[in-house]
Order: sequence, then C-alpha cells, then structure tokens
Amino acid sequence: MIKKNLNIFSILIAVTVILSLLIGCAPAAQPAPPSPQYPVHAPLTRFKIATTTSLYDTGLWYYLEPMFEKYADVEMDIIYAGTGIALEYGKRGDVDAVVVHDPAAEAQFIAQGYGINQRYFAYNFFLIIGPPNDPAGIKGSTATEAFKKIYEAGMKDPDTVKFVSRGDNSGTHSKEKLIWSKAGFNYAYIEKSGKWYIEAGQGMGPTLMMASQQQAYVLADISTFLAYSKKNNLTIVSLVEQDPIFLNVYDAIAVNPDTTKVQNINIANKFINWLISPEIQNVIGGYGKAEYGRPLFFPLTDGSCKMEGCPPPEKYTTPVQ
Amino acid sequence: MNAIWQGFLKAIELILTLNPEVLEITARTLVISISSTIIAGLMCLPLGSLIHFHNFHGKRTLINLIQTFYSVPTVAVGLIVFLLFSRSGPLGFLELLFTPQVMVIGQVILISPVILGLVIAALSGVDKAAYETAIAIGASQFQATTIVIREARYAIYSAIILGFGRAISEVGLALMVGGNIRGYTRVMTTAISLDTSTGDIVLAVALGIILISLALIINFSLSRLQQRWR
Amino acid sequence: MVLLETLSLRHEYDGRPVLIDVNLRINSGEVFALIGPTGAGKTTLLRLLDLLETPTFGNIHFNGVDVTNSSRQRAETRRRMSFVQQRPIVFTMSVYDNVSCGLRWRREKNETIRKKVDNALELVNLADYRNRNAKKLSGGETQRVAIARALVTEPELLFLDEPTANLDPVSTAKVEEVLARVIRERKATIMMATHNMSQGQRIADRIGVLIGGKVLQIGSPNDIFCLPTNMEVAEFVGVENILKGTIINKDDNLVTIQVNSSTVQAISDYEKGEAVYALIRPEDVIFTLAKNKTSARNVFEGKITKIASVGPLVRIEVDCGFPLLGVITKRSAEELGLKVGGRIRANSKATAVHVIKRWA
Repeated sequence: MIKKNLNIFSILIAVTVILSLLIGCAPAAQPAPPSPQYPVHAPLTRFKIATTTSLYDTGLWYYLEPMFEKYADVEMDIIYAGTGIALEYGKRGDVDAVVVHDPAAEAQFIAQGYGINQRYFAYNFFLIIGPPNDPAGIKGSTATEAFKKIYEAGMKDPDTVKFVSRGDNSGTHSKEKLIWSKAGFNYAYIEKSGKWYIEAGQGMGPTLMMASQQQAYVLADISTFLAYSKKNNLTIVSLVEQDPIFLNVYDAIAVNPDTTKVQNINIANKFINWLISPEIQNVIGGYGKAEYGRPLFFPLTDGSCKMEGCPPPEKYTTPVQ
Repeated sequence: MNAIWQGFLKAIELILTLNPEVLEITARTLVISISSTIIAGLMCLPLGSLIHFHNFHGKRTLINLIQTFYSVPTVAVGLIVFLLFSRSGPLGFLELLFTPQVMVIGQVILISPVILGLVIAALSGVDKAAYETAIAIGASQFQATTIVIREARYAIYSAIILGFGRAISEVGLALMVGGNIRGYTRVMTTAISLDTSTGDIVLAVALGIILISLALIINFSLSRLQQRWR
Repeated sequence: MVLLETLSLRHEYDGRPVLIDVNLRINSGEVFALIGPTGAGKTTLLRLLDLLETPTFGNIHFNGVDVTNSSRQRAETRRRMSFVQQRPIVFTMSVYDNVSCGLRWRREKNETIRKKVDNALELVNLADYRNRNAKKLSGGETQRVAIARALVTEPELLFLDEPTANLDPVSTAKVEEVLARVIRERKATIMMATHNMSQGQRIADRIGVLIGGKVLQIGSPNDIFCLPTNMEVAEFVGVENILKGTIINKDDNLVTIQVNSSTVQAISDYEKGEAVYALIRPEDVIFTLAKNKTSARNVFEGKITKIASVGPLVRIEVDCGFPLLGVITKRSAEELGLKVGGRIRANSKATAVHVIKRWA
C-alpha cells in the first residue's frame, strides 16, 4: 500500500519537474554570451518598467521588448498598469522606469523627486468616438464644442446621449478632465450631473466595449481605438479628430536612485536613449502601418511635432548622460 | 455567445498546435499552484496536528479565526503581500516583487487557512479512541499521531484538493504581486484578465476553456487517486 | 509469583472517587476475572493497571518494581502488556495491517512479523480474513481482530474489558472459544472485566468483585458464588434469598437460625446469638408437593405468590413466613401442576445455606 503511494508521488513530482523545465524554455529566455573581454558571465539582470494600458494594448511593447533585450543584454519585465499605479510603482522603487502619458501626474512625479531624465519619444492623438448617427451632432466640432454639445444633449435626453469615461485617473482620463475644464465645466460637477455620464473604471479596451454597447461617446487614443476595432466589432466610429488639445505625447522617465531603492539606473538611461535613437524612432513610426493602414504612433525626433503642447526639442533629442 | 463558440475553436487550435506561449503559461500556472499547494500542505499538516492534539486556552477562538480566513479576498492578500515585498516595504531587500517566487509565497499565504482549517476538521472527525488505542498497542506519540492522520486521510486529501483549487483559480494576488509579466510571471488567470481588457475576447475565452479543462482534469485525477487510497 | 500488584489504589474523576482502596494481586499465569455491575469502576481499574492513566493515590507494582509515576517506566511496562477494549477500534486498513501495527512500531523484521501475525490470526480463527478491510467486519470479528492484535506482541499480561458485552450469543461463543484456546496454548496472565457472571465463573481461576469502587471479595468462583462474604456481593452474584435472622442454637457446626417465625438450619462457625443472614441460592431450593422424605433438613411450607418464566426455567416465589425464591425447569413445574395460590413445599439442604454475619 505504501509502495503504491510512492509510485503516484513520484509521478506527480516527475510531472512537476518536467513542467518547470518547460517553463525554462519560455520564448523570452535570454541568450548568454558576454563580450570576449568578460570571462565570467554577469548574472541576468531584470529591468522592470511600468507602462500604461494604451501603449500596451496596441502591442507596441511586444514588438520592442525583444529588441531592447538583445541590445542591452537584460531581461525586460513589462508591467502593465494604469498611470496611477505605474507612478506608484516608481515611487516605491519597484520598477526602474515608467512610460506613461499623463503630463500633470508626471510633472508632480518629477517635482517630488522620484523621476529623472524624462524624454519624450512618440506622440499621437486622441479622438472622440461615438455612435454613427451622432445624436448630439458633434461631428466636425472642436473638442471643447463637442463636449459642450454632449453635455447639453445628455442632460436633456440621457437615454439617447451618453458618455463613457475611463474614470480611473489614467492619462486618458486626465486628458478628458482637461477638455472639460477647457470647455468651462467643473469636472466634479460633470461627474455627478446625470446618468448620461458613465464611469467605466477600467482600461481603454473595456471602456470602448462599454461605449460600443451603450452607443455612447467616448474619448480614446487613436492607436488603441484602431487596434481594438480590428479585434472586435465596434459599432462606434471616429467623430472628432483634428484638435490641438488632442495631442497625446508619450514619454519615459527613469526612477531616481537617490530617492528610491532602484538599482538599474544605468539600464534605465540606456533604455531612454535607445527609445529616442533614430533607429528605434523609425521602428516606432512604422509600427502598425501595414496592419491598420495608418501609423499608430508618430516619432518625435523627426521634428514633426510643432503644435501647442509639443515638448521642447531637447526633451527628445538630447541623450541622457 | 458567439465568442464562446469561437473561443472553443480557438482553444482546440491552441492545444493542437501546441502553441508555445500557451504551453509556457500553462506550465507556469501548474508549477506555481502545485508548488504552493505542496508547501502549504507540508506546513499545515503538522501545524494542524499540533493544534488538534493539544488543548490550550483560546483553541476554539483560533480555529474560528482560521475559518474566517477561508474567504479572505485574494486581492486583499495580494495587496498586503505587495506592500510587504515592495522595494520600499519591509521585505523589499529580498527583491522578490514581480517574480514567480513571490507569487508562490502569496498563494501559500492565501490557501494555508483553508488547508489548515480543513486538516483540523479532518482530524476531529476521527474517533478519539483511535489515538488511545494506538498508544495502548505501544505506539509512541508520533506514531499514534501518524495513525490518526492516516485514518483521516480521505478528508485531508479533500483539503489539499480544495487548496489547490483556490490557488490555481485566483487572479487578484497573481496580478498584484506578479505583475503579469509576459514570459516571466504571467499565468492563465492573469492572461485571461489581460486579454479581456485588451479586447482579445476570443483568446480570453480560449484560455478560460483550457484553464477550466485543466482544473477539471487535475481534480478528477486527484479524486480517482483519493478513492484508490481509501 | 505475583506479576501485578496494587497498593491502596484510589482514583478520582473531578473530585469524585471512582476507585477506593483497591488492593489486588494478579499471579503469573492465572486468569483473573473482575466482575461487578456497570459503572462499578471496572474499566477504570483496568486502564490504571494497563498504565494508561496515573492513579490519584496509591501504587502499582509490576514484577516487584514500582511503576506508578515515572512516565518512561510506564511506557516501557505498557509495552509488556496488552489491552482489548470493550468496543475495540480498528484502523482503516486490512486485518493483517491492523494486527501487525504493534510489531511494526516495535521495529520488528518483516519476516518475523508475518509469522507472528499469521499465528495470531490462526489462533482467533481469522486466517481467511487476512486481507479484508478491518472496518467492514462484524462486532465479533472485530473483537477477534483486537484480540489477535493484542496477542501478537506476546504480552506478559493481557487485559480484556468486557470482551463479549456487545455481542450476540453466537459471536460470544466464538470469542469465548478463542479465549479458552488462548488460555490453553499461551499460558499468558489474563485479567478480564465482565458483568456476565457465568462467563467469569466458567473462565476464571480467581474472581474479584468490584462494587461501588471497592473490591468487596476476591476468591475462587465457588467462593464467590456460593460463599459470598457480604450482602452486596451476595446480591450481585444472584443469591436472591437473603434471610435475616439470629442463631438460636448451635450443635457442632450445625446452627439453627430463627427467621421470623420459622427456623433454618445451616452449617456455620458463627456462635449462638449472632445476628446473621442466611443465604440460599434459588437453584438450591427443591420443590415438592407431599411430605417427601428428602435429605433436606429445611422444609418450608407456603403459598405460591408468583410464577415467572425465564427462558427454559421457571421462577417460583413462595410465601412461607418470609419470601423464598426457587428455580425449576418448566417440565418439573408442569409435572407438579404449580399455580399461583397453590400450596407447596420448599426444601433446602443445610449445606446449601450460606451464613454471613449481619451488622445491625
């Protein structure tokens, strides 16, 4: 009887061992060899970044990750989180760099001393998406006009005109709040003004789904919207696109080793410089063109960003020392 | 509903083509959950015996407390473990955050109350005279304890199976302390969560189907073994 | 040779005395039966003797060594004894595994274990049950497994707590057969608790009567059943005719006792004038109709007050100035044509009357 137990136990253990070996063969496993002058191979370093949902959802990171890992000979861990928690990870020193797109929150992050060496590396635009029949008639308006119309129509007829907000303090959410305030509204008031205003509290994807189902208006960045519509049937379409306020700039910030316990500042700097290097800027600019017919991101180093809100050139050309 | 059918087809496709990423995630899921179950089992069996076989002030209260933690939300445990192992937390120097190891630690914390409480319940279900009989036959305290554990083995297996179920099915903790890092800490549950929020519904459903099937197969096999071991 | 001895043993549970001043000696090789009513403390005494619990007061000596208090000594000594409980617990494993437990815990070699277990199973007639799941056995079979398990470690002293109390007559007979065999072949010292007096009578060399926590009498079966030394023992062993009287005459060892308005003659060493009880077992009462010439010195005439069937026997209660209980076969009852209210003669030999001292 005890022998039978042993047999089954050994099978279980063997299975576990085999499986753990399988894990070792994960596609992201790193090749080893160092350059010839280092006879002893340095231990594999794990470089962690926190990135926001918008960048992640487009799959850009899947593309860039193996490239950087090869370039810097590190193991890159990408943690996908909303702007709020991404910056929190930075403050706690749990990640080495953060890549987000929320200017206000980033400014505070840097002012508090947690972030250094901020460099911008890409931009695109937000847009307002909504039901094809456009009940609030926003097509062709500016951003602030559109928001005003949505508010008025929504207050009058909340069952027909609805707006879905990210509601999660993300970069997109911050942009939305900015537009409301530029349109002359107090955001706290808008939040509670009626049932036309829906707070999703989720990432861009589920928020778009919700808007699609509810036939509501929603603010989203172009890249996520394109990527998402390809994978799912969205019934909502782009309505308002051209407006300087829609500018959405992405940047990377290294976490300050003096105020936190991070240890990979060198790799973080390398990473930031790599992002603004001409080669990678090209890659970023070409990403998605084939699949979606239009690029999802615009590189900054080609100087194409000239509108209000674009970062100063030294913020995307000068490498970090 | 269409998504479920498509997901089902996708699941078959993923399995038949032995999709490497799915294999990798599945393997990792199993290793992490099985490891945490084994560790929690090895810890809680002796601990449960200790509690059961000794009478002390507040024993009843302790058992009640353990049972209270059966349904502690996984995100709550996840949050606490995250705060503990964050670089700015007390155990940050171990550099364990966002690694599979901390996920195992977290799962052990999560499922220990369940396994511990059920081990104690299992031992309580054995006639008290069994221990005495063993002593009378000449067993040492350790040998008598072992016999009682053996008598309760059916119920103890249930405890382990349940612990494993809770480990493999939880999302909150894995997400918070593991970070869902592709190729490193992504497990089936967190992958499903991610795919859902990026809109890859079909893939999410496929993974869900694979996860459920996996859990069913494992549970079924363990139950068969349990019957054989009666 | 004295194997086990208790000295002034006293045991209390929650301040309540359960055993009072027990002084016992168990001799090597004998079968000692402890009889007494339920709740008298038999199980407690057995558990104390098996060193499963420590007595509140008093000492226990095993082979002359005081083993009462040292837990190491107790554990060691306990290994030389075995205990079969009233409702034995078997573990969820095969009969073989159950019986071999004790040997495995003593780290004996597999080969030795196999031999000993097979012998033990043979002894209790369970050789065919070797691989059966022990939990699925009947009460009698379980008892026999427990006995085999107790014997396999070759104990110097075997305790049995009411081994057939919960069994039907057929299983009881089987177990008693096994016990008889064990006694014959093993020559182990056995101490058995039972409330079945006839079982004690049949199996034991000596009997101890435990009533109310006290050992009231120790002696051979005959002593106990025919010559009880006090009232409580007498009542327990089924002496149902307990006649209150005083010795009015003594002639050698033949005494005449005044009981109410009748006299009873008995054999006794007590003196004239002593207050006594005259004890007559119902089986020793012979009923006759006519004034037959029996050798019985005692003849009581009276009226039948009660007739009751008990199995194959009939109990007759007669009022002859005092109540007298007798037992005869159904057949005899029919032959005598006994009816309630009818007149009858109850006879008893002087030798069948047992006299004990009466404390006013």
